[in-house]
Amino acid sequence: MTDKMCITLMSGSIDRLTGMAVLVSAAVSMDMEVEIFLQLWGVYAFKKDVMKKNMNLSEFKEMGEKVAARLKELNLPMWYDLLKQARELGKVKIHACSLASRIWGVKLEDLEMVDDIIGAGEWVDKMSKAKINLFI
Amino acid sequence: MSMSEEELRKLKPDKVVDARGTSCPGPLLAAKRAISEVPVGGILEVLSSDPGTKRDLPLWARKVGHEFLGVIEEPGYWRIFVKRGK
Repeated sequence: MTDKMCITLMSGSIDRLTGMAVLVSAAVSMDMEVEIFLQLWGVYAFKKDVMKKNMNLSEFKEMGEKVAARLKELNLPMWYDLLKQARELGKVKIHACSLASRIWGVKLEDLEMVDDIIGAGEWVDKMSKAKINLFI
Repeated sequence: MSMSEEELRKLKPDKVVDARGTSCPGPLLAAKRAISEVPVGGILEVLSSDPGTKRDLPLWARKVGHEFLGVIEEPGYWRIFVKRGK
């Protein structure tokens, strides 16, 4: 059976989304399956009308621009492009939390790259079977 | 067991992928993509300027069933050799 990594993504800032996408890419390269569960800000960051316009760069607010500039210099793709690449290369499923979807009033078609909307119970069941579990 | 630098320099890779100019996880992704273009038993050489790659690729090779042959350090980059196992 293939090893699986589960990521619970609560955050919506670009620094954390980038860190998440790097780990997803690495896991896919290592032939692991990845499943991601988007909670509050995670769902918000995956909204079609938000994804590429997100300007919430960093936890250390004053450092945001600097980090963004360095990522660009280092030739790292934007987090959503990294994630798209990873999805082309391996098995990456993205689920949105049903509660968060209701909070934002979004349906599946309002979200980019998201495969379905599921409840917390199903997610806990998935996490219980994964080799690696992360909360970002 | 990895090979000596002298042995590595004599290798004729079936494919060379230049991932210099990308950062982690770029070289790893490049290796994953490129290995399928090498015949089983063939050799892939990855060029990377990211210091993480020379440790990533041996672990990757072991995990997914290839053989890490070794690494040559050049000024500013590394040449990493992997033999396709399956």
